[in-house]
Amino acid sequence: MSHRTLLIAFPKGRLGDELVPKLAGTSLALDAEALKSRVLRIPTATPGVSALLLKGADLPRYVAAGVAQLGIVGSDTLDEMDMDLLELADLGFGACRLSLCAQAGATMEMLRAKPHLRLATKFPKATEAWLTREDLTAELVPLSSSAELAPLLGLADAIVDLVQTGGTLRAHGLVETLVLGRSSARLVAARGAYLSEPERIRPLAERLIAAFRATP
Amino acid sequence: MPVRTPHFPDLLFGPAARLRRWEGALMGLLEAHGYRELHPSLVLREALPDGTLRFFDGDDLVALRWDFTVALAGLLARGFPVPPDRVAYAGAVFRRPVQPWEAVERFEVGCERIQPEGESSSEADLELARLLMAIPGVLGLKSAILHLGHAALVRRPLEAERLFGDLADAVVAALSRRAPHRVREALNGHPAAARLTAHAEALLSELNGPTTLGALQSSPYAELLENDRDHMERALQALLPILPPNLELRVDLADVAGLGFYTGPTLRLWAPGAQQELAAGGRYDRLFPDLGRPWQAAGFCVRLSRLLDLAETRPDLFEQPQ
Repeated sequence: MSHRTLLIAFPKGRLGDELVPKLAGTSLALDAEALKSRVLRIPTATPGVSALLLKGADLPRYVAAGVAQLGIVGSDTLDEMDMDLLELADLGFGACRLSLCAQAGATMEMLRAKPHLRLATKFPKATEAWLTREDLTAELVPLSSSAELAPLLGLADAIVDLVQTGGTLRAHGLVETLVLGRSSARLVAARGAYLSEPERIRPLAERLIAAFRATP
Repeated sequence: MPVRTPHFPDLLFGPAARLRRWEGALMGLLEAHGYRELHPSLVLREALPDGTLRFFDGDDLVALRWDFTVALAGLLARGFPVPPDRVAYAGAVFRRPVQPWEAVERFEVGCERIQPEGESSSEADLELARLLMAIPGVLGLKSAILHLGHAALVRRPLEAERLFGDLADAVVAALSRRAPHRVREALNGHPAAARLTAHAEALLSELNGPTTLGALQSSPYAELLENDRDHMERALQALLPILPPNLELRVDLADVAGLGFYTGPTLRLWAPGAQQELAAGGRYDRLFPDLGRPWQAAGFCVRLSRLLDLAETRPDLFEQPQ
């Protein structure tokens, strides 16, 4: 593949599961056979445009470095990583809340009153920003997955995590105590690629926006 | 992510020869247009910002030169009652990188055009634009793109709305990301939210040739920005007829890089497919007054380290030297 091939980085996981069906039938539909395989670079229905399937936390790095020219990633990940890339559109899907969650019965006042509050989270930057705004201090327990277990097993008093339907929280006896922010899928672009070749990147970006906005 | 191990590139044979050749050719071009070289010391002792490479010289904390414009401004403000009108520089600056792929030691060639306050700056701006337009040819770039922007297009509406501090920074950061939805998010509940979001959408709606200026019509601040728009229009009228072949001129209304420093027109040079701009500059009329001198200035800097990287990774973008 020549370096002139355009690469779009798509996230695996929750956002990816929503995204692939939205692209079906469009000029950027992902090759169904390749999707069934274990390959991570998937041709699209447009020659010269391929997709990379990446973990959300790695995706901004590929785009910021210009390896992929465009990408789709949750705004929660963007806010945590603060990479130098362009954010061309809020695609609207994948909407969820970044929330403080604690065991049922625990209120915000009870958490505030704790002399040594411990918060487990995959989002330390957003959590720190909220703590600063609220003039609170807490010990942050950084986790990379299954944060819901932390309050149950005594690793933390509460968690700051993404909540979409609340099903996982309920399954672990947790409740949403406070909404700290909101997240949704964003279309990102490599700064260099976009500014030096807008005639190549902008039409592709517009096709992606149209594909995602056309489907509910 | 901060870079823990700064890298200092060694240039071997080919790149070393290329650096020498490019430095010589660019300084020759500047000299031919009346720019005289100044060489500020590699070690600076005043105001050491974050990101500089600092060390102790005896009891004194000093830093390696991190920016030619700042170093030259200090030198000129201290030692010249009347500044030379055209100065040029070449050499290395040392800065801790923001991005992991950036080097600490960076080679640059650049120039500054300095005038007494109150003198018309239009001709000086055009002179710098014309010089920058000649640079792709000097470097052997097969094609290039010159982006023309103007710091006032963002600065003036923010000032008119009395938006300063963190909120203004958030709007500028959103524009830098080309994300009008982030402007709306940042200003949620602010009385100017709708106006500034509409302005951001206008600035970001096009990135094209001279017709891009028309996008300003849909901004709520169109009247406020009329003079700045006229200034850009006149610059385009002067530059378009002398545009060299293989150089494209684009208007980037949302250029906010260095907004805290630039006060007027901005210029950025790109090559198609390059990941980083290859040269950048603009008008910065506040630097000398801040140093106690009633002078205005503009300039640009050619980032030779980025060009050396580009020549290694994308040799197809360059003519083969004879």
